[in-house]
Amino acid sequence: MRLELRGITKKFGSLTANDHIDLVVEPGQIHCLLGENGAGKSTLMNVLFGLLQADEGEILIDGQPVRLANSGDAVRRGIGMVHQHFMLVPVFSVAENVVLGFEPTRSLDRLDYARAREDIRSVSREFGLEVDPDATVESLPIGLQQRVEIIKALGHDAQLLILDEPTAVLTPQEADALMAIMRSLAASGKSILFISHKLKEVRQVSDVITVIRAGRVIGSVPPTSSESELAAMMVGREVSLVVEKAAATPREPVLEVRDLVVRDDRGLAVVDGVSLEVRAGEIVALAGVQGNGQTELVEAITGLRHVESGTVLLGGRDITNRSPREILDAGLGHIPEDRQRDGVVLSMSVADNMVLNTPRRAPFARRGTRNLAAVRDNAETLVESFDVRTSSVDAPLSSLSGGNQQKVIVARELSRPLEALVASQPTRGLDVGSIEYVHREIVRVRDEGHAVLIVSSELDEVMALGDRVAVMFQGRVTGVVDPSTSREDVGLLMAGSAPAGSR
Amino acid sequence: MTALASTAARVRQPLGRTQAIGWFIVVVGLFTVFGMGVGTGTAPSSTLTFTPVDVSHGAPWHLGNLTLPTEWTLVLLGAVIVALGAEVLVRRLAKGAMVRVGLMAIVFLVAVLVWASRQPGPSQVPFINVTAILVGSAAITMILIYGSLSGILCERAGVVNIAIEGQFLGGYLVGEMIDSATNNWLLATVGGLVIGALMGWLLAFLAIRYLSDQIIVGVVIVTMFTGLASYFNSWVLTPYPNLNNGNIASNLAIPGLMKIPIVGPTFFDETGFFYLMLVLVGLVSFALFRTRWGLRVRAVGEHPQAAASVGIGVERTRYVNVILGGAVAGVGGVAFAAIQGQFTPSITSGFGYIALAAMIFGRWRPSGAVAACTLFGVSAYLAYNLQSYQVPISTEILLMFPYLITIAVSAGLVGRVRPPAADGIPYSRE
Repeated sequence: MRLELRGITKKFGSLTANDHIDLVVEPGQIHCLLGENGAGKSTLMNVLFGLLQADEGEILIDGQPVRLANSGDAVRRGIGMVHQHFMLVPVFSVAENVVLGFEPTRSLDRLDYARAREDIRSVSREFGLEVDPDATVESLPIGLQQRVEIIKALGHDAQLLILDEPTAVLTPQEADALMAIMRSLAASGKSILFISHKLKEVRQVSDVITVIRAGRVIGSVPPTSSESELAAMMVGREVSLVVEKAAATPREPVLEVRDLVVRDDRGLAVVDGVSLEVRAGEIVALAGVQGNGQTELVEAITGLRHVESGTVLLGGRDITNRSPREILDAGLGHIPEDRQRDGVVLSMSVADNMVLNTPRRAPFARRGTRNLAAVRDNAETLVESFDVRTSSVDAPLSSLSGGNQQKVIVARELSRPLEALVASQPTRGLDVGSIEYVHREIVRVRDEGHAVLIVSSELDEVMALGDRVAVMFQGRVTGVVDPSTSREDVGLLMAGSAPAGSR
Repeated sequence: MTALASTAARVRQPLGRTQAIGWFIVVVGLFTVFGMGVGTGTAPSSTLTFTPVDVSHGAPWHLGNLTLPTEWTLVLLGAVIVALGAEVLVRRLAKGAMVRVGLMAIVFLVAVLVWASRQPGPSQVPFINVTAILVGSAAITMILIYGSLSGILCERAGVVNIAIEGQFLGGYLVGEMIDSATNNWLLATVGGLVIGALMGWLLAFLAIRYLSDQIIVGVVIVTMFTGLASYFNSWVLTPYPNLNNGNIASNLAIPGLMKIPIVGPTFFDETGFFYLMLVLVGLVSFALFRTRWGLRVRAVGEHPQAAASVGIGVERTRYVNVILGGAVAGVGGVAFAAIQGQFTPSITSGFGYIALAAMIFGRWRPSGAVAACTLFGVSAYLAYNLQSYQVPISTEILLMFPYLITIAVSAGLVGRVRPPAADGIPYSRE
């Protein structure tokens, strides 16, 4: 299929998410759409998939202008989408998920499971995508679930596949397998529109790369362009892609986790005997595919989740199962994974958010009464020194950009006396400029002699920031390695198998 | 090392829910053996009889009475309960725990009957009429099943229908008035269906269009309708008593089948509403789990975004199902009127909520709901009727029994239940 977008414009209120975007995807081409979070990629894809309607511009399929009023229209026109958050019903079988919306039936509206299975097998055979049609989707590993999404799109006879950040949830090996699948699909004539912000994989698999920034097309370049060229196009200025830091000089252990067992909401031991040690003056980076217990481990350390057994020590003191306030007061800084849910109160002012975890402490309160002048002074100082872009310290936090919201949290956590800092996905959703900034601050905390634990599902970040890299898989630490270890070996640890020579 | 770690974790684990349930069952069993069984006195006996009391078409069969030694029967029943509890404990049943609790409740109810009817003893009724209990329970069970089916239709599509109680009341009122005026239960059914559907539409409209909290909207609808019904009662039914003459639907016995001992009077000598309920159970079961329609409904209840991404109209599906659910509950209200008669404002006495609990106990499946409703129906019936056995517990406490089970079930004390993932969560496109 040849897809052409002409002058697509989409506005949300005063924000122009897409500004006259032109794009052509040729048949059999892997076309990458590269851009930062918030550049307008997702909006464009939602327009293309019929989930949003463009304010201006037209979509042409094989030269014919088409109107896509909903996603059903898009699917009927041969557009298939593999969503970043899979659109699969976890309790349904593979077959039920694949046929949903386009079910083969027999008399009395009965589902024709035999035909559904046969359809899936024929797609599997044609494209080499093996999967058991009767397996329940939630029982499949993430990589296979994604395969089901692809089969679902192909099963609806898609000629153009949109892949939205498909590697975000995959191990490096699974990502490689996905790219092989993409190439074979392209070879069989399918067009692929691939959305990503990861420079490495984009150069690896694309035929053409179109960079968008702030809703506009910056340009289309061949995959031979260098990473720094692409990064500069994405951000609009030269950026440093490496974290500059001196060698660590670790001293005594500050944050110690011993044989920790934590259960998730369903009662499964998602942290299953983890032991970890973070020393003063070093950054330990915890790598792993999302959902292998990292979130629950951090929640347990910070007192947000009950520890079933094992201990957490901070500076030699036992803080296991203490309340979050006791733990924060003991000197643990926490940059939470979901900042808008756990880190800030969006409707409150910048100033109030900056004392969110120290509201009772002098000078911010005296005898149970808040000292608003001190809160304000504190905020003005921090806004200045951490370069938070806000109209005023009284502005509600929701009026700040994601990067500046994160800066508020970083400022708050780093401006109080700390023993150790735990930062979960500290740069998720931030633009490259803000990422640089947050990384520098984290290194500064380390250099001041604090212990730092970073949890990230971005392998690049883990390798760049960590002085040691611990890898988690299915609730266990499968290895602690030096950041000079090859990505392949770390990838193996992320998939649960130990590479030769580790540990 | 890993095995050691996980064993240690298990040892330090506080008393888990499964164990708690297991021990609870064991304690109930031990109570049956020692509290009720051993030492019931000088060799009393209990008698079971099977002849229906109210024989509308005569019983062509006669089963003799069964006389059991009370003490040993109770010891045996208690042992069965202990065994059920032990099974939960030993096999660490998480999934099957619910079924065991249900079985326990049934065996325990039988034990209570055996104990209460012992002779010599305080009971004025020297026997247990098994058939009468089944026939009496069938009516209550039928009402509950209508409610549960309504709940299943709504919640499978992701909308909590807590307004079933109000829809019962609406169906009851309208059904009673129409039947009193026309003496025609078919017309009454149509009326109940329409009022139920309208109330379902109101819930759907507020929950889907305005994304309101479904629990609150449901409670508001019930409260509003309770007030409306009282108003109607004082301003229409009291001045015109011929609109509330309390007719009861006559049974439509099925020739031949009704003559089967015990089963006949229970299942085949019932009102048309009972047969309609059976048809609905089969129909909902088939439609939800075998058809394209059902697959789409369940997808909407589990993951509305996924359903929307393949072009399924989430809002439309929810509207249709909540209106259907309201209609079913409305018909249930008419059925209620058909067995109970005259309307009074508090006549539905919380049956809508018990039906909802039975739906949870039955894991959002028609078959499970039927089992749970049967259990609740039998226990409610016994609570209303055990008084005649001079059980040394006050009536009010006995009447609490179905509600106690309801609390245990809806608080999730019993077994692990997994509702549709998007149940109760308003859906918006953005």
